[in-house]
Amino acid sequence: MRHLKNLLFPYVMVFALGLVLSPVGAAELWFGAATADITPNPPVPLTGNSSVRIARDIESRLTANVLALESHEGSRVVDQAIMVSCDLCVIRPGIQEGFRKHLAGRLPGFDLNKLFLAATHTHAAPVIQQDRYDEKDYGDALQPKEYVPWLYERMAQAVVKAWKGRAKGAVAWGLGHAVTSHNRRMVYADGTAKMYGTVNTPEFRGIEGYEDHGVHVLCFYDSQKRLKAAAITMATTAQAAGGNKVSSDFWDDARRLIRERHGKDVCVLGFCAAAGDQTPRAHVNKRSEDRMCKLRDLTYGKEIGRRVAAAFDDEAGVIAKDIRADVPFIHRAKQIELPARIITEAEYAVAKKACEEIDSRKTRQKTDAWARHFYGLVVERYLAQQKGGWKTCAMELHVLRLGDVAIATNPFELFVDYGVQIQARSPAVQTFLIQLAASGPLPAYYVPTPRAMAGGSLNEKLFTNYSATASHNIVGSEGAQVLVEQTVAEIKDLWKPSAKQP
Amino acid sequence: MKTRMVLPFIAALAVATASAAELRIGAATINITPDKPVALDGQFNTRISRGVDNPLTATAVAIEAREGDRCVDQAILLSADIVVFRQPIPGPLRERLRAKLPEFDARKLVMTATHTHTSACTDKGSYDIPKDGVMQPAEYAAFLVERLVEVCTRAWTQRKPGGVSWGLGHAVVGHNRRAVYADGTAKMYGATDDPKFRGIEGGEDHGLELLFFWDKQKKLLATGINVECPSQEVEGRSTINADFWHDVREQLKGMFVLGWPGACGDLSPHRMYRKAAEERMLKLRGLTCTQDIGRRISREVKDVCELTKRDIHTDVPFAHKVEDLALPVRKVTEKEVAEAQKEIEALKKKDDKSSRGAWFQRTIDRFQTQDKEPTFTVEVHVLRIGDIAIATNPFELFHDYGTQMKARSKAEQTFVIELTGGWGRYLPTTRAVAGGGYSAVVQSSMIGPEGGQGLVDRTVEMINAMWPK
Repeated sequence: MRHLKNLLFPYVMVFALGLVLSPVGAAELWFGAATADITPNPPVPLTGNSSVRIARDIESRLTANVLALESHEGSRVVDQAIMVSCDLCVIRPGIQEGFRKHLAGRLPGFDLNKLFLAATHTHAAPVIQQDRYDEKDYGDALQPKEYVPWLYERMAQAVVKAWKGRAKGAVAWGLGHAVTSHNRRMVYADGTAKMYGTVNTPEFRGIEGYEDHGVHVLCFYDSQKRLKAAAITMATTAQAAGGNKVSSDFWDDARRLIRERHGKDVCVLGFCAAAGDQTPRAHVNKRSEDRMCKLRDLTYGKEIGRRVAAAFDDEAGVIAKDIRADVPFIHRAKQIELPARIITEAEYAVAKKACEEIDSRKTRQKTDAWARHFYGLVVERYLAQQKGGWKTCAMELHVLRLGDVAIATNPFELFVDYGVQIQARSPAVQTFLIQLAASGPLPAYYVPTPRAMAGGSLNEKLFTNYSATASHNIVGSEGAQVLVEQTVAEIKDLWKPSAKQP
Repeated sequence: MKTRMVLPFIAALAVATASAAELRIGAATINITPDKPVALDGQFNTRISRGVDNPLTATAVAIEAREGDRCVDQAILLSADIVVFRQPIPGPLRERLRAKLPEFDARKLVMTATHTHTSACTDKGSYDIPKDGVMQPAEYAAFLVERLVEVCTRAWTQRKPGGVSWGLGHAVVGHNRRAVYADGTAKMYGATDDPKFRGIEGGEDHGLELLFFWDKQKKLLATGINVECPSQEVEGRSTINADFWHDVREQLKGMFVLGWPGACGDLSPHRMYRKAAEERMLKLRGLTCTQDIGRRISREVKDVCELTKRDIHTDVPFAHKVEDLALPVRKVTEKEVAEAQKEIEALKKKDDKSSRGAWFQRTIDRFQTQDKEPTFTVEVHVLRIGDIAIATNPFELFHDYGTQMKARSKAEQTFVIELTGGWGRYLPTTRAVAGGGYSAVVQSSMIGPEGGQGLVDRTVEMINAMWPK
């Protein structure tokens, strides 16, 4: 059992300081942007799958893209933020806090609590935490303990550059559309659901949930109205490409095409909105999509990049008619507590048995370390819950207002329905959601809906109803609803007239 | 679940699996706008048109596959800006075509409605329509049949050797319109800013299935656009309007367009959330919503058209099967009858003049006859053209059923076209029936999930029979 109180203590202290109310009145907007190359030299152990893959080649470079924001009223700083979009799978527990420590003293005048990291969710990025794979499988590949300090320093240099380079600018925002991903949970006649399940079977009844194809764009311009940075969020994880090479997935093509068309120095931050059940993989129309890719002479990953860039092109010209330099800007970062998913006795029994079986094996299987990690976590959580622990899950929530736009983060793979709820109830004209962001000291994983949880229970096959069972949910639908309520309340608070007063 | 074929139509020239043959193609379009005020179709309330925003049209593409002098198979694909193809249109239209085009098998006429709710009513019993100064439904129906015969005839007689190409594009047009709440209920167009709102019931398909028809000189004759969205963005107006298909056609000037709604019983162009952001973007673009939909669709059509121009086929397998499929009716329960009676009483008290009372009354009538008439027969067309399949049904078919058909089809690309060959009302899914609300309640549907599954299974069988095992 982890010592939760010890782990959370520094966060609670830090965020208590961050809860000071900021003013939301219109102010001069300053921004800076920078990019860091965070590609390690191969061989590199790749994360995201149930066994480690060793990449010996680089398909495309990994980057961290930084946007620093500050608003000024005369000489007074009104509020600030630093967002870092990273071509990583997940910001693993403790990584953000470690990075903040690494930055300590290097950003004079900046409250480090107002920095957050977010992952694009590429499954072709290095392992950054040694907790789920067997070290014996790494061979001569880079170890997380070697990569992470190097990653910190690379990102730190970009953050410092963005922060120090901030200058007076302006912002514009817009909503476009691109079909870049699909709901990946198939439902069958017997009521079960399966991620990436077969669709050409008579028992297939449909796709479980909704799909969100919105492409939210924030563009930042210098004083000459030249585009310098763009943040894009959409309900699409960067996992179109697959393979065993280091890759930033479709973001590499999207960024390249945007820079070719809008300026070679444009810094593009790719964010992922609520997309726990949505990925860039074709299911129902797969053969047709494959044929179209062939006609275009593109891989599916590159095709997704093309669509993202096309949506950006389509929006950028339109929103350039409405560039604003004096928008309200406010950023709140706080710690919230969500009810954790409670492990049932049956789930505990399944997990315990699975752990015992794995532990007793004489011949180690490829996915054993990964499976042992997740079943073990179920056992650990059950035992803790029996003693009154792990009943809640603490998370760091960032909510920003920038003009008519709200930005809200969460550290999960949050199912689309929750993102729809937040957007539907938000008073902002447009609401940007960023998942896999601002991860704290605990793992976050998927946050499923009630209908997903009804699709199957934890059993001896870890992929049964994968993404919606106790093994991969620290927070269930009850906690998710609290997340929605708290996020909506925080956003609403930023739109209250009283929020304008310092 | 039992489904049976009541009138198995076995065309003498049809083949189970299709062989390659030379294609002959003709295309034509015609204006079907009434020249007088009409009752507009599609809503409960009577609306008499107060002018014409833009023209209603019908487009026909005739296809014949020939091996030398032998006709292998044939079809006329007809799409019209009307709500639904209900009687008195299909029967008289086919009769007239039989007389006028004896070499064409009138059963192979594929009639699709775009579902615009701002087109003329063809059914005399639906609304309380003033007698003076308004074109009556029967008069419009006669006019419409005349025009449809003309456009089909022109397309058929103009057919010449040509080719087809097909492709998949994407445009975000239709949105699932059923909001689900914490208590498990669902509501079409329900509020999403309600704290009890939990999500959207079903999915959406933003794939644009595109079929291009070319002449021998590779000049584009017509395009079939299968979009999972009925054309009802401006459905509440009291002016004649072809809805977003008008804007598609405007932005694809010179192209004959067959507007084909996909399986979209639970979808419409109305936004369920992010309305403010969408409205702002429209304002910045200086476009109306239908113009923007036209922009999204036409942009993709042009893009895919250019790409697939490299892959035009003139001698593809072509087959067309038609079946009359008897599906089990959705049984009305005694509780539903009692509820319907209660609603009728309440409407009478309010002196309601809309067609809501009749809507409830039909449910009561069904209860009386459902044991004697346990099935409802619908016309289903399945075509194979090269590597694509086209499957039609007369319902407002919920998205999930279309997804199943596409997923289980052996075709490389499958076009599912609803509101074709009649009108079967909504066909909701199991989850929709559980949630209730308009479009899923018994008043809205003749066929329930059991019949829906029967439709899917038989359609898939028909498609897959056209491909090698």
